[in-house]
Amino acid sequence: MKGNNAIAEAAIQAECRFYAGYPITPQNEIPEYMSWRMPEVGGTFIQAESEISAINMVYGASACGARAMTSSSSPGISLKQEGISFLAGAELPAVIVNMQRGGPGLGNISASQADYFQAVKGGGHGDYKLLVYAPYNLQELWDLTMLAFDKTDEYRNPVMILGDAILGQMMEPFVRSPYVKPDLPEKTWALTGCEGRKPNVIKSLFMGEGELEQRNYMLQAKYQKMKGTEVRFQAYFIDDAELIVVAFGIAARIAASAVRRLRNEGHKIGLFRPITLFPFPERAINEQSGENRRFITVELNAGQMVEDVRLAVNGKSEVLFYGRPGGAMMTPEDLYEKLLQVYLFKLTQ
Amino acid sequence: MATPLNLKELSKKEVLLTGGHRMCSGCGAPPVVKMVLLASEYPVVASNATGCLEVSTCISDYTAWKIPWIHNAFENAAATLSGVETMYRSLKKQGKIDKEIKFIAFCGDGGTYDIGFQSLSGAMERGHDMLYVCYDNGAYMNTGIQRSSATPFGADTTTCPAGSAVPGKLQQRKDLTKIMAAHGIPYVAQASPSHWSDLMKKVRRALEIKGPKFMNIIAPCNRGWRSRTDDAILLSRIAVETCYWPIYEIENGVLRVTSKPKEKKPLTEFLKPQGRFKHMFAPENEWMLKVAQEEIDKNWERLLKEEAFTAQQEPAKE
Repeated sequence: MKGNNAIAEAAIQAECRFYAGYPITPQNEIPEYMSWRMPEVGGTFIQAESEISAINMVYGASACGARAMTSSSSPGISLKQEGISFLAGAELPAVIVNMQRGGPGLGNISASQADYFQAVKGGGHGDYKLLVYAPYNLQELWDLTMLAFDKTDEYRNPVMILGDAILGQMMEPFVRSPYVKPDLPEKTWALTGCEGRKPNVIKSLFMGEGELEQRNYMLQAKYQKMKGTEVRFQAYFIDDAELIVVAFGIAARIAASAVRRLRNEGHKIGLFRPITLFPFPERAINEQSGENRRFITVELNAGQMVEDVRLAVNGKSEVLFYGRPGGAMMTPEDLYEKLLQVYLFKLTQ
Repeated sequence: MATPLNLKELSKKEVLLTGGHRMCSGCGAPPVVKMVLLASEYPVVASNATGCLEVSTCISDYTAWKIPWIHNAFENAAATLSGVETMYRSLKKQGKIDKEIKFIAFCGDGGTYDIGFQSLSGAMERGHDMLYVCYDNGAYMNTGIQRSSATPFGADTTTCPAGSAVPGKLQQRKDLTKIMAAHGIPYVAQASPSHWSDLMKKVRRALEIKGPKFMNIIAPCNRGWRSRTDDAILLSRIAVETCYWPIYEIENGVLRVTSKPKEKKPLTEFLKPQGRFKHMFAPENEWMLKVAQEEIDKNWERLLKEEAFTAQQEPAKE
């Protein structure tokens, strides 16, 4: 099963019953899969006439209480930004998948991580955050997609799965772990017909005196809560590491190969892999930093997460960057050479 | 003097979309583009929406276009060309340019009927002096044959797959040519590469008219239609002969069907050679053939009535 299909089937298993999408490479397998799979489970698949319509269909379905999802790739995600901001403002759950490709502009269709800023710093207008998961193999695509549906309902906040062209297109074995639905509060806010109860209101427009500010403080409190409880990361060989590689998603997969080889050769190098990009594992990284440690972030972009690593380290360690921007791919061999040089010769850039 | 529209004379003209591009063999789009550009007696600036034609003609540092060409994104070829054409008018007004240049947008059906419809409609309403050409192959072929609002009723695509639950696309295609005519623009036409002389005459007519013009041209795609590689022109001819794709023009509100089949062929002749309609011939899906034929008949009759009606309204020619 391809990564894109794994996401689609995991969503079905997690009781997603509404999907709206639009063609764009390299995520077409998701709408294609949903187009025949949704009718099988009594769900709804809609191919919209644009990405903008797809995200707004998700807004409508989510407002009615459905578990709803859309997917796209970088340029299409840019088009969805207004809708994502509205979802966040109206506190509507939704799962949004971005199988990133190289940008800016039309770029190309090969893998990239250049939408990190867009995903974690807001993307659309207004002070909002998405909960962002960065899977690095098919197992995580499966597991985190299921988790995303629970978390988006729990927080009433859109969740993004930030994947890329490689993860979407590759195949590898994984365990189709069954979906176990946690206890979630009933969606009493949903627009389900108000006979016998007070009508619900879902909106992101707050014109009353002080209303909008209050709303924003409430949203910020929600993000703070996520920072306290939703951080996920994995660390490999870091206890005695003198150099810690920080990488997410497919870059972490590439970095893991290079780091393993360097470890086998006796070099004290470790890997720190954020799984949530917002909330960012800033405390964990800060705790690892110190004078005898250096960090290098490895990304498939021109240097985005490195800014968050620097903020987390807060001057306690040197933080270097190695990356390839959109249009290029790094191999474990490239990275091995680079890390070896940085490690042995104490290079500063 | 204009090059006569015969093969001998046209063959002497430079082909402005060169070979060597990466379109699939047997694709209907490149001949359409070549015909449009060959028809023009003026220098042309083209814009292109994202799609097969765009990605396959500008690979890496290379271009198959021997004319100035601009691509922006999927949804905005008409908007991009609006900007270019406005700048041209401004430069002309300033006396910095005196050449008569024509502006043509080339876009597939996804970039025209669906995501690009807003920018197309806006450009036509504002009255930019441009010809918008849609090469209609009836699906998002570039991304892997997903349905579009130009996909015909019944077709099997990757997002409306024919299976046990749903027998392909259940909606009728959008009649975009009529929608464009409803904008009240001076010239709208539908054409087919099988009727190349008709197609080129329409392009010439359009380019002589100031203001916004729209042409919808059928462009068979053997990958998406699952037809024989060398049948693009044949299928576009059958499309005309079955009245699936009537060829007509509407100039200043007067509709003229430019080629009427001597004998209207049954729609099945168009559907049968295409794998995307194969399931419609299964006994349980016979109703689909009936529905598809009825829609074609209804539209064809209406078109003839419109032709007769608008001819009456036509001011007497001197």
